[in-house]
Amino acid sequence: MSPASSWLEAAARRGILTSRYPARPAAQEEIPLTGRPPRPVGGSVGTPEAVAACPVGALAADGIDEGRCIRCARCLATGFEFRGPVETARLRRDDLVVPYAAPARPEDAAAPLVGLKRSLHIFLVDVGSCNACNLEVLALANPFYDATRLGLFFTNSPRHADVLLVVGVPTEAMVDPLRRAYEAMPSPKAVLAVGVCPISGGVFRGSAGLRSALSDVLPVDAFVPGCPPTPLQVLDGLLKLVGRSRPREAVPT
Amino acid sequence: MKRATWTPVDAARFDPGHGERALAYAAPDGAFSLYNDYRSGSSFLVRPAIAEGPESLAARWRTADLADGPRPLGPTDGVEGYGVFTFPYGPITLGVPESGRFDLRTYGERILSASVVGGFKRRRILAGLAGLPVDEAGLRVERIAGNFAAAHVSAFLAAAESARGDPVPIGELWVRAVAQEIQRAYNHLHVIARIAEAAAQNVGLAQAHALAEELLRLQGRLFGHRWAFGALLHGGPPRRLDRDDRRQLPARLSTLSARFEELWSLFLGSRTFIDRIQDTVALSRERVVAAGGVGPTLRACGVPWDDRLRVPSVPYTDLFVDLPQESGGDALARVLVRADEVRSSFSLLEQLLDRWPKRPGESLAPDEPIAPGRGLGRVEAPSGDLVYDVTVADDRIVRVGARTPAEANFPIFGEGLRDAVFTDFHFAFESFGLVFAEVDR
Repeated sequence: MSPASSWLEAAARRGILTSRYPARPAAQEEIPLTGRPPRPVGGSVGTPEAVAACPVGALAADGIDEGRCIRCARCLATGFEFRGPVETARLRRDDLVVPYAAPARPEDAAAPLVGLKRSLHIFLVDVGSCNACNLEVLALANPFYDATRLGLFFTNSPRHADVLLVVGVPTEAMVDPLRRAYEAMPSPKAVLAVGVCPISGGVFRGSAGLRSALSDVLPVDAFVPGCPPTPLQVLDGLLKLVGRSRPREAVPT
Repeated sequence: MKRATWTPVDAARFDPGHGERALAYAAPDGAFSLYNDYRSGSSFLVRPAIAEGPESLAARWRTADLADGPRPLGPTDGVEGYGVFTFPYGPITLGVPESGRFDLRTYGERILSASVVGGFKRRRILAGLAGLPVDEAGLRVERIAGNFAAAHVSAFLAAAESARGDPVPIGELWVRAVAQEIQRAYNHLHVIARIAEAAAQNVGLAQAHALAEELLRLQGRLFGHRWAFGALLHGGPPRRLDRDDRRQLPARLSTLSARFEELWSLFLGSRTFIDRIQDTVALSRERVVAAGGVGPTLRACGVPWDDRLRVPSVPYTDLFVDLPQESGGDALARVLVRADEVRSSFSLLEQLLDRWPKRPGESLAPDEPIAPGRGLGRVEAPSGDLVYDVTVADDRIVRVGARTPAEANFPIFGEGLRDAVFTDFHFAFESFGLVFAEVDR
């Protein structure tokens, strides 16, 4: 086939690329192996070797703190596999600590922005990220995810924003600009922490000069774990804020 | 086979008066030297072609030391005059999705001078590596700049392997090159997409953005992680790069490459796209060389400089590496170089798969250490030469120094904005491919 001679032809030939998520479950190619949180294979406990192999202290004998897991795969050698649900975002930090044995608690917290169900404007703030989360969030605009189909828009001013989407582990220098951006937003408003950095400090947890969590600086309304989370996981976090997310997918065992 | 040998040279040559606390090394080809000053944390390459003399270069680099908090990257001598004020752009702006500030001196519309302020997201990563085992340090190194993770980890591991004298399996070096070339193509496509966005070329933006997403998905399939985090370290996610997987890859790559060709020919035919970048922030060869610019920024003003060719290293010694070059020095030239490099990366990926080593488990001796327990690692990252200097004792990191391409190119960007207008800003910024995370490490 000869190359397209116009943008229109090029676009028409590619056809529709857009994901059916959230109407349909996430397709395999949309979620890489590390897009699911680890769970022990077969058994219902984490062995002491697995707990010791975890460089970020996410694994315990009886459960995993998804808010710390950086998906480094060190635990795979000790009898784990990536098989948690794709819908990882939670409205409560405590719910990110998931026991291996019991099924995850259903989301029972009230969605904070339920009145803005049809349209959300998002303001992205980087307070100390490696740039991967920034790019995954911006990838929501690409034709594969096309967040505008769900009424989600990025805005360039906090004054037009409903959601403050924060990526990175908070540095001292960004605390004040972050607070000012939050104060400039009209109510009702919500804060979404994207990636394990703003949730727990991630791989940099406990480093000198960094705040340990975004919740020390601002009230956080929803948490999207992952390092970095995939675009669909960020989408899930945004939909949870307005109460439109699918229930958590059953874990295959 | 050895990968490279560095010769220590007298640091006082570059930094009179401070030579005692610095170390310098000459490259195997004698083309340039590497200068490291560990007290201040500065480190840079010195080339014979530097016009203004290495002393002033050393002085400039000392301004970008390890001071905490926001600090200017490069000269701050602002233009004064009637009605001239400083327009601070940042640190939070979606125009530049990272945190950093641009102090633009202006009386409106025209930028009379500019300085870039970095350090808002300084995470002190390198200092925090001391005492960690190499593989655990690697998890942090790849999170210095996530979109250049493969380049950072490859340089870091090469330095650590040289420091410890660890032989490296050849196959491992090939896998590192695969990840680096996918990320190079991704990052250049991302730059093209951002420029299309600034030029309001919405169909082009969507198509370039989609192709970049396909490269991330390819990476996710091969390495289990969309950014290949952990994949080049021991105990990372399982890879899918065995013989059967490799057999399926060339067809996928040629589809992606054909899509890129179609996309790029449409961009080149779009006057609105070209007009916005032609003559935007044009830099002379002398200025870029004198300021120590690297990567596509340097190659866009006619300097054929690429670490993949300069420092002979496996696997690039076994491949044909194309060296794109332009002479315009403007944003258009930088974007043309990037587009050619996307092509070159697709070609390198095909070559890597075609000439996969017969015995990938066979070991290769690492580079000679530059001192006992201390090694250098260099790669050509998507935005320029990246150097790591790692000291290891008892399998634990003692000290890590690094020189990233963004450190070299940010001051040039600040100087280049002189006499541009506000609407040029995003075209100029994106054409440099700068990442604040690389300077705020």
